[in-house]
Amino acid sequence: MSVAPAAGRDGSARSSTALLTVEGVTCRFGGVVAVNAVSFSVSRGELFGLIGPNGAGKTTLFNLITGLTVPGGGHLRYRGEDITGLPPHRVAERGIARTFQNVRLFGELAALENVMIARRVRTRSGLVSGVLGLGAARREERATRVRAAELLALVGLGDRPDERARNFSYGDQRRLEIARALALEPELLLLDEPAAGMNAGEKHALSDLIRGVRARLGLTILLIEHHVPLVMGLCDRIAVLNFGELIALGAPADVKENPAVIEAYLGDEA
Amino acid sequence: MATFLATYDFLFVSMVLAAVLALTLYLPLMAGQLSVASPGFYALGGYVAAILSTKVFHPGPGLYPVSLVLFEMAVAAVVSGILGLAVGLPALRLRGIFLALATIAFVQILGVVALNLEITGGAIGIFGIPQPFSSQLQYMWLAIPLLLLSMLFVARLERTRTGRALVALREDELAAAAMGVNPTYHKVLAFTTSAVLAGAVGAISAHFINTWNSRQGTFDTSVNLMAFVLVGGSRTFVGPVVGGLVLTALPEALRGIADVGGLPPWLAQFLRDGRLIIFGILIAIGTVFFPHGLITPGLLRRLGGRSRASTA
Repeated sequence: MSVAPAAGRDGSARSSTALLTVEGVTCRFGGVVAVNAVSFSVSRGELFGLIGPNGAGKTTLFNLITGLTVPGGGHLRYRGEDITGLPPHRVAERGIARTFQNVRLFGELAALENVMIARRVRTRSGLVSGVLGLGAARREERATRVRAAELLALVGLGDRPDERARNFSYGDQRRLEIARALALEPELLLLDEPAAGMNAGEKHALSDLIRGVRARLGLTILLIEHHVPLVMGLCDRIAVLNFGELIALGAPADVKENPAVIEAYLGDEA
Repeated sequence: MATFLATYDFLFVSMVLAAVLALTLYLPLMAGQLSVASPGFYALGGYVAAILSTKVFHPGPGLYPVSLVLFEMAVAAVVSGILGLAVGLPALRLRGIFLALATIAFVQILGVVALNLEITGGAIGIFGIPQPFSSQLQYMWLAIPLLLLSMLFVARLERTRTGRALVALREDELAAAAMGVNPTYHKVLAFTTSAVLAGAVGAISAHFINTWNSRQGTFDTSVNLMAFVLVGGSRTFVGPVVGGLVLTALPEALRGIADVGGLPPWLAQFLRDGRLIIFGILIAIGTVFFPHGLITPGLLRRLGGRSRASTA
């Protein structure tokens, strides 16, 4: 079965088919309802923003989509297939990649190795063929290395492949995480506050990077971001969460005018 | 040189076998899993060899065929691997200290079982295990190739897709899973591979020690192996190998110092018999001051860089 992102490359960025559908998903932690019956769907090729105050349930929603947390109710459909309750590595195999709010790189490993690890869902050599260094495994290893180096270059870290991940600055770690996520060749990319800790110049470069990879790789992107101008400038549609509930959904301009959103979130910034 | 080798023949073979056993602890640790189960598989492998060679093959007079020892090693490896899979699947659902405790319990249970079964010779164990070599030093012909093959295996593994998946689990299991690494599969794989290797070492050891009983492969061995890996180094396969070689020789060296004389009697006594205490102290000091052990990938890179510079 091919999970290559080819389906998104046809240029019809707004084809009507939903890539990801969230259907009445609920998640409770003890007495707290972190996500309450949230429903929306993300179309192929869309850049979809997810905003809301701290604790609104945005990251929990990412964890639910990627299988790190199992929902208490509702369904998640990806390319028409029910992925509710699948373990994280199965979700990754299907072509959903993510970054983490609190960067989770493999800190002791080199930048290149971090990216190479995520190539595993697109490679196949096993324990025996790898250890014996058989021809196919050897070729695959070389290709993995080349591809990982390309991705490092794509995010602007091409000159430091051997540097350990923990030594990178916060902003560079976030970019390295994006390179690692792209190594999966995902069709759906979830970015959890990618601009956090970046200065204005870096934020601008990040916007360009996100637009660039989306266009080049035909990605569908789900973006959590606190920096409102960045979200408004990038996203096709925006969903607003507050206390686990979806309070608004629509084009950036409409969401901006929504009284509920202004009261819950944008008010202090508008 | 020949006398030196002959005097310390038992020690040299023990050092090499200890280095292989240290690698069996290192394998699950590559995936961040602290398992001290390998002494159990080592004991099991020893029993497989002891039972096969004394009760099944009935060797004639003269030296026991080396080919049969190799066959026993293979059987011990397979049996240990199967048990490793059976134990690993449920045990590796546990994390951190709970896995360590479960594997300690596993080693204890195997010891009690061996103590009470008839086929393992009960408390007396199995003795008179036939010798394939005319001198103990010749066990090196088995031990050294096994060590080299294991080192080659782990060194290669560290540079493959599977090895990277293990290391990713060690660094951050959650992130690794989100990048497509199946945690359970890889943990069980590392654990089972470790069991296979420990079983093979046990088979050699049974012949080498000539007798096998429930005092082989106990919690004491677990502590030794932990010292080998934690002091030697847990971030590159070179660490456990050096740790196993050096720390196995250390008690002999300390005994030598104690025999020089002139030391207070209590100190001499401690140097002679305090092996486990010293290993315990080394583990404690090591984990506080050298959490990754004395031999780290960074150290190897620096050494490699220097030797390249000097040859250039």
